[in-house]
Amino acid sequence: MEPADELLNDEAALELSEDPMRLNMGPSHPAMHGTIRMVMDLDGETVVNLDVQPGYLHRGFEKSCERGTWAQVFPYADRLNYVSPMLNNVGWSLAVEKLLEIEVPERCQYYRVILGELSRISDHFTCNGASAMELGAFTPFLWLLKVRDWVWDILERETGARMTHSFGRIGGMAEPPTPTFKDDVLRVIPELHKVVKETETMLLGNRIFLDRMQGVGVLTKEQALSYGVTGPVARSAGIPYDVRKDHPYLVYDRFDFDVPVGEDGDNWDRFMVRLEEIRQSVRIIEQAIEQMPDDGPVNVDDPRIVYPEKDAVYTTIEATIAHFKLVMEGLRTPKGEVYSFTEGGNGELGFHIVSDGSGTPYRVRVRPPCWYNLASAREMLLGGMIADIIPTFGSVNMIGGECDR
Amino acid sequence: MPKFTLDGKEIGFEPGETVMQAAWREGIEIPHYCWHPGLSVAANCRMCLVQIESGRQMAMPQLVLDQATGEYVPATKPKLQPACQLEAADGMVISSTNDEVKTAQAAVQEFLLLNHPVDCPICDQAGECKLQDYYYEHQGTLKRKLTEPVHKPKGVRFGPTIVYDAERCIMCTRCIRVCDEVAKDHVLDMRERGNRNEIILAPGRELDHKYTLMTEHVCPVGALTSQDFRFKARVWFLKSAPSVCPGCATGCNSHADYDPRNGKIYRLRPRDNAEVNKFWMCDDGMMTYTRHDTDRLLMPTVGRGDGRMPVGEHEALILGAEKLQGVDGTKLALILSAQHSTEDNLAMAKLASALGAERLYLAALPSWEGDDILRSEDQNPNRAGATLAAGESPLRPLSDLPTDVQSGTVEAVIALGWASEQGLDALAPLLALDQVVSLTSHVGALPAVASVAIPVGDITEIHGSFINAKGMSQSFRPVLPPPAGVDPAWKTISELARRLGKDLGFDSIESLRAGLVDAAEAAQ
Repeated sequence: MEPADELLNDEAALELSEDPMRLNMGPSHPAMHGTIRMVMDLDGETVVNLDVQPGYLHRGFEKSCERGTWAQVFPYADRLNYVSPMLNNVGWSLAVEKLLEIEVPERCQYYRVILGELSRISDHFTCNGASAMELGAFTPFLWLLKVRDWVWDILERETGARMTHSFGRIGGMAEPPTPTFKDDVLRVIPELHKVVKETETMLLGNRIFLDRMQGVGVLTKEQALSYGVTGPVARSAGIPYDVRKDHPYLVYDRFDFDVPVGEDGDNWDRFMVRLEEIRQSVRIIEQAIEQMPDDGPVNVDDPRIVYPEKDAVYTTIEATIAHFKLVMEGLRTPKGEVYSFTEGGNGELGFHIVSDGSGTPYRVRVRPPCWYNLASAREMLLGGMIADIIPTFGSVNMIGGECDR
Repeated sequence: MPKFTLDGKEIGFEPGETVMQAAWREGIEIPHYCWHPGLSVAANCRMCLVQIESGRQMAMPQLVLDQATGEYVPATKPKLQPACQLEAADGMVISSTNDEVKTAQAAVQEFLLLNHPVDCPICDQAGECKLQDYYYEHQGTLKRKLTEPVHKPKGVRFGPTIVYDAERCIMCTRCIRVCDEVAKDHVLDMRERGNRNEIILAPGRELDHKYTLMTEHVCPVGALTSQDFRFKARVWFLKSAPSVCPGCATGCNSHADYDPRNGKIYRLRPRDNAEVNKFWMCDDGMMTYTRHDTDRLLMPTVGRGDGRMPVGEHEALILGAEKLQGVDGTKLALILSAQHSTEDNLAMAKLASALGAERLYLAALPSWEGDDILRSEDQNPNRAGATLAAGESPLRPLSDLPTDVQSGTVEAVIALGWASEQGLDALAPLLALDQVVSLTSHVGALPAVASVAIPVGDITEIHGSFINAKGMSQSFRPVLPPPAGVDPAWKTISELARRLGKDLGFDSIESLRAGLVDAAEAAQ
């Protein structure tokens, strides 16, 4: 006789335990994006206790920054929220520029805004597409990623890389915009609108989708505030906080755009806030393209901050020295510390940097929005069904590279 | 103490001191090229211009563009003073950072780079060049002059040690002054004027005195380069560790620059010490770094001449101990070394008393040409230390040893160090003895006559101290770790004693040094 039959015949074995069952999910689990481990106590399928454990993707970002020059942090910053690396690039540039007390030329500011908003769109596409996919709707995911690829085509043409661009520079950008930049962006905008519309058509009237999203994974406004949650997660809970609006940086104060705010703080609101933010980002991009000058410098005019042109480096001693100093010792920042924050894909992305006046950061601390958002995930998941962990955790949009650093 | 104010900071000074000097003492650097704390004031580079903000301003006429009319109109600007030549006065208020001064610094820097060649990638000075540092700090603009730079001689041989590049030279005259004032040899001078001027040798002369490398050391740019260091290493790969020169009994303080990637020392630089060497070192001392990786004994050996065989580290100690087992203390000679640290010599002295040996000899290098600048006639850094370590036992000269061996007074020898005035011929009688153990960092006559030679750490690889001719004890730390399987001599001596069944009473450099204090007190 097979062992399973033996168990069935044993009546005592059929009796269910009254104690909750302890279950491990992750860190290696397809739904635990990045590498998160959840230890939960289950009463049937209801989560009665939960411990969310990040840290499996810790790569020592902050410590690594202390070994190179200020400019060498860009590749590390790319790998924070790797779904929208340009926003991290710009965030780091702005932090060091704040320390240096410089402002990049206007053309560069618009350039940064447009590239950043394209990144935000691709970030939200990924998150919302994955949310739908995890509930069984694979089609919107493919559609959204198809258009995300077109957005990445633009980023690739501009920066040379589809994901980890390392394109930001202190005092400007690595390259000026390509001649076709504006046309490329304008050409893809109708497709963005189209695919958002299509996604809405597919999902917003879908009974399965509505049941799994509405009223699930609720985070109240009070909880969101107490956990320091920012970004779409906070806005879906009714907190109208957006760094671009409340503490405008670059040229965000010149654009007309709305900050979508939810009411319930459930999966549905988070999904809808992100969808609407895509539309608002497109609005910003359209205005920025109109206002962005076609000519003019992209980088600040200081060979002590930005590499001089190569032909000058090869022929004049001044440029050679500047190049040498920037490469060998790194650009020097004044002694001091600053906190600089921008609206990342998931909320307030802050860099607190301390400089001892040398070419190397003394200390870098990142305020990763995901970290605080993830901390609140327990509140969303507790008392819910185990199956709801997947869409809820997906809508928190935890990105391991940023959360664990 | 009278005080003046520099950039809002009060600085005290001795009457007669210049602003630059007083600031330098406080650790504040006013940008400068031609000024050097150990040399006379030339005030020719103009980089240290500062403004005296107190008192009546000296005004300099100038033309200023009137934005409204587009015409140049007469005006004045404050006249700046070189801080290196400006005698400090009580209550003086000085700025080295205000806009006037900043403009002047940027302008001076721009002029210095006007005809400078694009040499950083092939220049040994790159990475420690004042032109680079001050460009970044005080200029930060790109080239405005579009004409061909003035060309001057490059790669001029000044002597056996120094190469001169006139295009890189900023004419600060530090090298001329170091020859005049330190080496007391007016072998360098300057010719021509303006952008044609260059440093030249005295007719019929070469730069060949004993302090030629100091000209390269004081050169703030890459105009003078050392033949020895040229193209060997890039300075940003080098790390630096403090050390003491083993070249003579002066014990000049040095920085040893080494590449941690290959464990090689590339050069020495003088380390300022007002009591010993001020800012300088002599050429021979500067070159002692080559000892670290030249003629080293890295493997223990047993046997002599053609029968010499390399053996393992422990094997050598076992064989050495075997040879010395049951040796008669009265017939045992121990050779101390004036080239080794006081600690190593003290360990030898302790070994001598543990084995009941009373015959102590001192091996030392012969005298050389001294001078009244830095070089001591005794080219051994630690004769005094070895003497101190020997304590009350008389230290016999090594020249007595061959006779004592021949007469049968000495039948066994334990020798420390490689250095001896006596060569192979003089030491030949030792070849007749079976029991000659040498503890040495390098090859030499003493290891050559030994039946067992055990390698020990070079002075750049150990903790130790030298007592110089003035009686000052100067300690040093390892610059690099010793080669694999090699220990400092004091450790090897203690290990040898252990294998002979004796405990010398120390197990670390600290406990050994405690014994040194006792020895010093006993000597007094």
